[in-house]
Amino acid sequence: MPVRRTYPKGTVVLAVGTKRGLFLLTSRDRRAWRADGPHLAGRRVFHAVLDARNGARLFAADNGDFYGSFVRYSDDFGRTWKDPVRPIAFPEGGGLALKNIWIVEPGRADEPKIVYAGTDPAALFTSRDAGRTWELNEGLQRHHTRSRWQPGAGGLCLNSIVVHPTNPRRMWVAISAVGVMRTDDGGQTWTFCNKGTRADFLPEKYPEFGQCVHRLIPHPGNPDVLYQQNHCGVYVTTNAGNSWTEIGGNLPSDFGFPMALDPHHPATIYTVVEDETRSNVGDQFTVYRSTDAGRRWQRLTRGLPKGRTVRLGVLRAGMCTDTHDPCGVYVGTNTGQLFASRNRGDSWKMIADYLPPIYSVAATVL
Amino acid sequence: MIRLPGPLRERAGQRAAVQVEAATVREALDALDRRFPGMRFCLCEETGRLRPYVNVFLETENIRDLQGLETPVPDGATLHVLHSVAGGVGAVA
Repeated sequence: MPVRRTYPKGTVVLAVGTKRGLFLLTSRDRRAWRADGPHLAGRRVFHAVLDARNGARLFAADNGDFYGSFVRYSDDFGRTWKDPVRPIAFPEGGGLALKNIWIVEPGRADEPKIVYAGTDPAALFTSRDAGRTWELNEGLQRHHTRSRWQPGAGGLCLNSIVVHPTNPRRMWVAISAVGVMRTDDGGQTWTFCNKGTRADFLPEKYPEFGQCVHRLIPHPGNPDVLYQQNHCGVYVTTNAGNSWTEIGGNLPSDFGFPMALDPHHPATIYTVVEDETRSNVGDQFTVYRSTDAGRRWQRLTRGLPKGRTVRLGVLRAGMCTDTHDPCGVYVGTNTGQLFASRNRGDSWKMIADYLPPIYSVAATVL
Repeated sequence: MIRLPGPLRERAGQRAAVQVEAATVREALDALDRRFPGMRFCLCEETGRLRPYVNVFLETENIRDLQGLETPVPDGATLHVLHSVAGGVGAVA
């Protein structure tokens, strides 16, 4: 019988989803990193997350090339995997077929068996047994505008899921290119939360829906505050999504995918923006940080590559922070480099190279 | 008999081939799914269609060139499940 793999308490585990498998990078001190993998080799792992509520259960959105997409889970850090008994799927004969699973998001701390997943075509799925079975959220599918939702370039993907930490009836999802939606009745009905966010690619710049939101993240201490990186700018809401304020300020581009924040100093937020070629603006790969909730953005470049041939992109789930203070910040590129900072972004080090294109990075402190 | 590709054999107890009784390809896949639940979802979308990059051959004929899932399966015939040649996928083949 194989020995169950474990890591010492305090280890930082990075789950790195790539175009060809899942990699785990681990460190005790955030200086020296050890890479493990690939797990699910050859699979397109759009997102993976270690759920500390369930004994470090590792979930992976495994989008195979041929035989379907599944949220698989492992209780031994990727050594062995289990398939769901009832996988994510649309109702047979309903006309929709699952293309990809984009995100897996653990639920509230006091609901340890609940896990959510977002898909293309846009849908929210819920597991109430830590990944064994999944059920479709019918309320979102029945939304009266559902037939008019249009995909972004990456598909009609539900890419972000945010639960209210204490109110079990409230949560948010983000869909590209539909926008942010919120439920206040436990998922039975959903309303749009897009007031103040632009859709420059549509005739109407501020529509009720149709916005291309790339990443939605919550404030850890104030559930009325959320941030989003959008196709058309960076925004904050302070009223649970009823309206948004643009906070792009001095960023050199409106366009970017990822977003993260410092959990101990949640006015400190991070993004990476790109030019029209979908890579770094200019010759310096740069992470942008604001320590005042977006009023002013700083360029973080120390340790990050620069040069005429440096053309890096970061996908929507490709950046995260850890829960240490000072927090670690992690950025994976679509060309397979993984950069880490152990000092809130002040300086960076490349901790992995030659990975397949990175789709997602998620940090957990064991 | 249904011959399975490498990636699906784990779902069938590492079997490379499975004996089923069926009059059509659809019945064969249904029988396969009854024996190894979830197998049909690996081969067919929720709409009922065969997945885009999954091919089923009745002996040497692609069922898409025959009657699709309604293709009759003669006694003793072999169905081969293979995925499309899509380039650079040796790691998953």
